[in-house]
Amino acid sequence: MKKLFALLLAAVLLLTLFVGCKKTDKNDKTDASGSTDANAAKLSLVVAGRFGDRSFYDSSKEGAERLQKEGLVQLSTIECNGENFSAQMQNAADKANIVVCVGWEFYDVATIAPQYPNVKFIWIDNATDAPVANVLNITYAQNEGSYLAGYIAAAMSKNHVVGAVGGEDSDTINDFIVGYKQGAAEYDAKNGATTTVLVNYTNSYDDPAIGKECAIALNDKGADVIFQIASAAGDGVFDAAAEKGFYAIGVDSDQKYINPDAIICSMKKEVGNSIYDAVKEFVSGNTSKLGTTWQTTLAEGYVGIGYGEDGSVQQIPDEVKQAVEEYAQKIGSGEIKVETTRR
Amino acid sequence: MSEFEKALSTVFSVGTLQQMLRSATPVALAAIGGSMTEHAGIMNIGMDGMILMGAFFAVLGSFLAQSAFAGVALTLGVGLLVGLFFGLLVVRYRSDEFIIGCAINTFAVGLTSYLSRSFFGTAGAKGNPALPVLHLAFLNKIPILGPMLNDQSLFVYLTWLIVAVAWVFVYKTPYGFWLRASGEKPDTLRTAGISPTKMKWIASVLCGLLCALAGAHLSLGHLKGTFAENMSNSRGYIAFACVIFAAANPAKAYLAALMFGFFEAIGLRLQGYISSDLTQIVPYVITIVMMVYVVVRKQRQRKRTAKLEGPASA
Repeated sequence: MKKLFALLLAAVLLLTLFVGCKKTDKNDKTDASGSTDANAAKLSLVVAGRFGDRSFYDSSKEGAERLQKEGLVQLSTIECNGENFSAQMQNAADKANIVVCVGWEFYDVATIAPQYPNVKFIWIDNATDAPVANVLNITYAQNEGSYLAGYIAAAMSKNHVVGAVGGEDSDTINDFIVGYKQGAAEYDAKNGATTTVLVNYTNSYDDPAIGKECAIALNDKGADVIFQIASAAGDGVFDAAAEKGFYAIGVDSDQKYINPDAIICSMKKEVGNSIYDAVKEFVSGNTSKLGTTWQTTLAEGYVGIGYGEDGSVQQIPDEVKQAVEEYAQKIGSGEIKVETTRR
Repeated sequence: MSEFEKALSTVFSVGTLQQMLRSATPVALAAIGGSMTEHAGIMNIGMDGMILMGAFFAVLGSFLAQSAFAGVALTLGVGLLVGLFFGLLVVRYRSDEFIIGCAINTFAVGLTSYLSRSFFGTAGAKGNPALPVLHLAFLNKIPILGPMLNDQSLFVYLTWLIVAVAWVFVYKTPYGFWLRASGEKPDTLRTAGISPTKMKWIASVLCGLLCALAGAHLSLGHLKGTFAENMSNSRGYIAFACVIFAAANPAKAYLAALMFGFFEAIGLRLQGYISSDLTQIVPYVITIVMMVYVVVRKQRQRKRTAKLEGPASA
């Protein structure tokens, strides 16, 4: 009896191992209205981290869910929780026709994709060194959006010190930061100010407590507008902003709703929309983008600044918003070149 | 002020000391819990999972009852259950404590993620009622120490009390004596008519409760009612290092946790002067230094006992 009980307990423990990385195979749950066509392409969304960041990964899920709702694909999702990227990619490719890999970490797509010639891969947020025939890379001009965020930060800073809290010291995160710095410098040049830009890295995307500490450390050094670029760890930046009374800028999704008084705007990266558009093109039979890198830009509307839903509190004066609009056009037309750390 | 002096003054500021206390508190609470199991002869590496569960159930209680103290009550209840569960497997069924600890850690990630999504959706929990911050006006009159100690979350102060109580419990009460004996000389304890198993059970439950408090501080004290999946971020392992370093003395474990908090704070403030990749390794370097100290200490003890017992008595 005891042995049986111990065995049962062990089995329960083992089962929970799989909870974190569960696959939600939504095919089985297709509603009776039959909104999902049985012949629809199978789309597998593989994210490097986990959902619930109210930002990057959640945005990708929204785009994929929209495709499913319109009956264009049957969706399944896999969360890697920061490990086994290649194995999860293969798991997805074994079953799906289209695999969307969300996260700069999926470098192995370059070697795995050729093993599945009939599967179309989309790699979000990074690009293979050389083109692969069945891989579409989608990168985002986060540097351009961050340029605008940097301009706003410098304009809103009373101390002329602004901060950024990055998830880690990597090319993609630093792409935000170079744009942010350049935007702040542009404000200085135009208004004769001297703004210092300070950066801290959390080295974690999960831990809001460390995100909060990073923001407080920057605030101690005088930063009164802080841009968070750290997924769920960035939630702590908003906490710190509310507590210490400084402004925060959200990232990837329009995050103003989380704390409308502390978050003045967000640098949006429309990951979901880009996935939606790319997959829709595939489904309609146009695969001309495969084997290329689609560099989505500010001009196309895939990055930009969000000020929250209509009617939410606005801290940014209209003249600053207007200037931002003008800079957005200048970047779109190529008049202003924003530095980048992307390859 | 030269550039260097400026850097020094930002790195060693009141903010650094404040963060030291904030960051040390969850680690310290878990380490005190870990000291209990360590004394009882149980190697408990499941503290990280226990903290994570503590953080989640505190937020859940706070969300359901709209009161932070209800959150603490719920998380203590769950902490008790987790402690009993740990005791059941490790004490009653004598399973390998290392494996059970690992299992609790993975179990906690899965369970809290699953429940968090069931209750709050993928967006996670945020902005639930949090524990109060204590403002003691008289403290601000004291330079440095005043602002450092003031305006901290309730649990920062509560931890001092817990450290004192735990120290008295372990070293000054018969229960503490039995607890230590249950780990060091269980047979002797049994001869004295006291069940070492019972002491091990008590240690497991105390550890469960204290780790639950550590989690509650993280989500309701340090953060304002926020739960993010996997947010314990290895604090349980740091706590374990503190336990070993302190030889399971609760007061020393608290000091070790303060040291970790201090170096974390220094690390964050050094960023901008040196690369974040380097500052990130600081806690791990400290761990290694601490473990070297532990080895040296052990060897010294061994030499001393060898001297006492005379040559070649073994």
